[in-house]
Amino acid sequence: MNLSFVRRSTAPVRVVPVAPGATPPRPTRAHVAGFTTMPGAATLLVGRKSRLLLVALHEPEAAGALAIARLPHDGHVAIDARTLPHATAVSLAAGAIMRGWQFDRLRTQPGPGTRLERLDILTHDPAAARIAWEGLRPGVEGALFARDLVTEPGNILTPQGFTARLARLEREGVQVEILDAAQLRNEGFGALLAVGAASEHPPCLAILRWPGAGNADPAVLVGKGVTFDTGGISIKPGAGMWDMRADMAGAAACAGAMLALALRRSPVPAVAVLPLAENAIGAYAYRPGDVLRTYDGTTVEIVDTDAEGRLILADALGWSVRQLRPRAMVDLATLTGAIVTTLGHDHAGLFSTDDALRDALIDAGTAMQEPLWPMPLAPATELESDIADILQCTTGPRQPDALLAATFLRHFTGDVPWAHLDIAGVELRERGPWYDPDRHALGATGFGVRLLDRWLSTLG
Amino acid sequence: MLDTVFAPATLPGQGALALLLIQGQPHPPVFTDADKACGGALTRAIAAAAFTGKKGQTCVVLGATDAHPRVVLVGLGPNPNARAYEEAGAAAALVLHKDPVATLIPSGTDTDAAHAALGAALRSYRFDRYRTKEKAEDKPSLTTLTIATQNPDAARTAYAPLIAARDGVFLARDLASEPPNVLYPAELADRCRALEAVGVTVEILDEAALAELGFGAILAVAQGSAHGARVVVMQWQGAEGPPVALIGKGVTFDTGGISIKPAPNMEDMKWDMAGAAAIIGTMHTLAARKARVHAVGIVGLVENMPSGTAMRPGDVIRSLSGQTIEVQNTDAEGRLVLADLLWYAQDRFAPRISIDLATLTGAIIVALGHHHAGLFSNDDPLATQLLAAGTASGEALWRMPLGEAYDKLIRSDIADMKNIGGRPGGATIGAQFVQRFVRGPWAHLDIAGMAWATKDSALAPKGATAFGVRLLDQLIAANYE
Repeated sequence: MNLSFVRRSTAPVRVVPVAPGATPPRPTRAHVAGFTTMPGAATLLVGRKSRLLLVALHEPEAAGALAIARLPHDGHVAIDARTLPHATAVSLAAGAIMRGWQFDRLRTQPGPGTRLERLDILTHDPAAARIAWEGLRPGVEGALFARDLVTEPGNILTPQGFTARLARLEREGVQVEILDAAQLRNEGFGALLAVGAASEHPPCLAILRWPGAGNADPAVLVGKGVTFDTGGISIKPGAGMWDMRADMAGAAACAGAMLALALRRSPVPAVAVLPLAENAIGAYAYRPGDVLRTYDGTTVEIVDTDAEGRLILADALGWSVRQLRPRAMVDLATLTGAIVTTLGHDHAGLFSTDDALRDALIDAGTAMQEPLWPMPLAPATELESDIADILQCTTGPRQPDALLAATFLRHFTGDVPWAHLDIAGVELRERGPWYDPDRHALGATGFGVRLLDRWLSTLG
Repeated sequence: MLDTVFAPATLPGQGALALLLIQGQPHPPVFTDADKACGGALTRAIAAAAFTGKKGQTCVVLGATDAHPRVVLVGLGPNPNARAYEEAGAAAALVLHKDPVATLIPSGTDTDAAHAALGAALRSYRFDRYRTKEKAEDKPSLTTLTIATQNPDAARTAYAPLIAARDGVFLARDLASEPPNVLYPAELADRCRALEAVGVTVEILDEAALAELGFGAILAVAQGSAHGARVVVMQWQGAEGPPVALIGKGVTFDTGGISIKPAPNMEDMKWDMAGAAAIIGTMHTLAARKARVHAVGIVGLVENMPSGTAMRPGDVIRSLSGQTIEVQNTDAEGRLVLADLLWYAQDRFAPRISIDLATLTGAIIVALGHHHAGLFSNDDPLATQLLAAGTASGEALWRMPLGEAYDKLIRSDIADMKNIGGRPGGATIGAQFVQRFVRGPWAHLDIAGMAWATKDSALAPKGATAFGVRLLDQLIAANYE
């Protein structure tokens, strides 16, 4: 996608955002065609030589998205922002690009829609607009990077496939270190190794460091990276299992946020720790009933091999606490079906041991329209095992698994201020009553990237 | 039921004893007296058991002296509040239930003594109406617990409003425990008549009245049952002005209807009227303690049965509000009941606030487990008041989201709305449906995970919890009197 800030454009279609109370161009024709400035309104005026799309302008990113949604067959679009402030102009661009994203890498023939190849933002002062765009570009690029990762299928994006994609971050100055399976064994990552044991593609831990400026302790991001989740011995039902290629959306969001930090040369030191594994089925698979020893020495009794995310996060959190001296630690994971039952597809669940961190994340989510909803933790007594230090999860109908999973993770966070975002339910947008095609591209959302980028930008 | 009487704070000559002790403080003089009477056994027991007075810790001393065959020491923790005295009183009563004569010595203020008495009473609750063969030795021997305190008269005064709370809780527990063949809508409505004794005006709307008024949603839920629907309006006029409206879901048994539930655990559905039970209990409490509030309690009583006359998935019904509802699942019936009740309450009483309590969704159990009830509200000040009352009463709430994105999911192709919207966000969708019938400040408490306990807790044996009675009593005492 090629974005330009220009004074003139050759695009065959020009989008004109119209705020309530403003007069649209060709007011008579617009009126006859029924254009209003109600939210979500868009009207196409077709002339002899060119086309004009009027869109109601309320929240600018939504208006940019709406424009692209209504132009599914245009590869080259201009948005006329000549009467608008630069901040609005660049938000229109961000909305258009986020909505225009599609994943075509695996097509060998053209898909049904036309890909948005060129977007021209018309402005009287392109240089100033370009500077404004630099404020938004890192978050948008990070989000699109995450979306690509989430979309790539499990046969291609294996743990090794994932780490190969991190070259993009290295080019921007992120230091990438990979602990392979042998190193994990030496270091005692008993949970991550067990989850990845049955796969032909061995597990690994990716450590992404952005040095920032100064010597502050780093903010640490931890992301669940299960590149495909069959459920293991506690195998999932077949219907819908293909979605489990997205079970690394937490890791993808952390990687996308690191890309954003690097692109904007953030002064804040940050580290992303990504446990990557495929939860497969095989003779070497771990079993319900097994007891594992995590990185920090805690023994865990396994109840359900499909509750694997909390195990690999336990190792990653425990390692981060001991090795990184985090100032704060935030993990993202497509962790539980229970959070989908709880919050649906409109909020991610937020669990935290630190009120200030919780509030800062909620604010960042609100600002970036990636909303979070605070949820409670349970007493540790809910996870007492008969034979080990802690029980992985509980069984039976209607278990409050999202809060129990968060309670499990808390065990591994020491006294570091910590928050956990259960992003199951918001990592993908699929057709159905939840899906708003005027606002969102279909498929991976990149949820979390812009929120984390925003949060990190508030840390001094 | 365990009776409690207050007596002066001296060591009784005989009987079992319970002493409540604060962690990290010197023992009260009465402890010294008791220890002397026991020949120093208490001091030795404290050392042997490493008893520190930690909250919840108990130490039982048996046979130290013939006069006091059983002495129990109960820890209050440091800086005990009213709740700590309630829980310690409860723990003591549990240990002493086999003693025919027993004295509890809280060693705090007279108000603390009253709370200890309340805790002892609440924890000793039993629902044994249907036991015909229980042996005498299996029943508690303790019928009256003496509470020794500095000024018994002051303690009695402090206890009066707590008796009202206790009786409201017991009433709600009794109602939720009753089996569904005994407690059907008309019978539950009749039980509400008992509130007239404490000054509540009770008005029962039967099927004919409901049909006349247009309660289409409630009648649709009831139409499959041999037992007709009832709506009971209870008014306590302890003050002038617009009332606080308290609304309760009262499905006396919920089979699910044509969308029938799976058989395992269906017996739990006898307490699908726990919301109504809590409202009835609250009305009793408010009236019995002569609360200076105008409160109106409205409960909708129905049985949800599958039969030839039952409503079907696909039916479109007209609610009291005039809005039409496409019923896509007959097991999402509670929200239909609440819809008519809330509309009626607002139409007739123009209340200051409306609060409904309902065992509404399984999704709220998945969301919050058994630690919090779900709180949904369109009014932040009311939500804040409720959260505070939950903390103070020990009946905890957790706020859950509402929003346009969820409301969208109950759009129907052929009616104003449908009664389900899919599994994701299920509790919010239920609340969103109810909100379509709300005008004014409102809160919805989804108590499905809190109304019944499968384990004993500090202040209640397992079974019906009466969740909501003390919460609403606290809310009103703190904000609406």
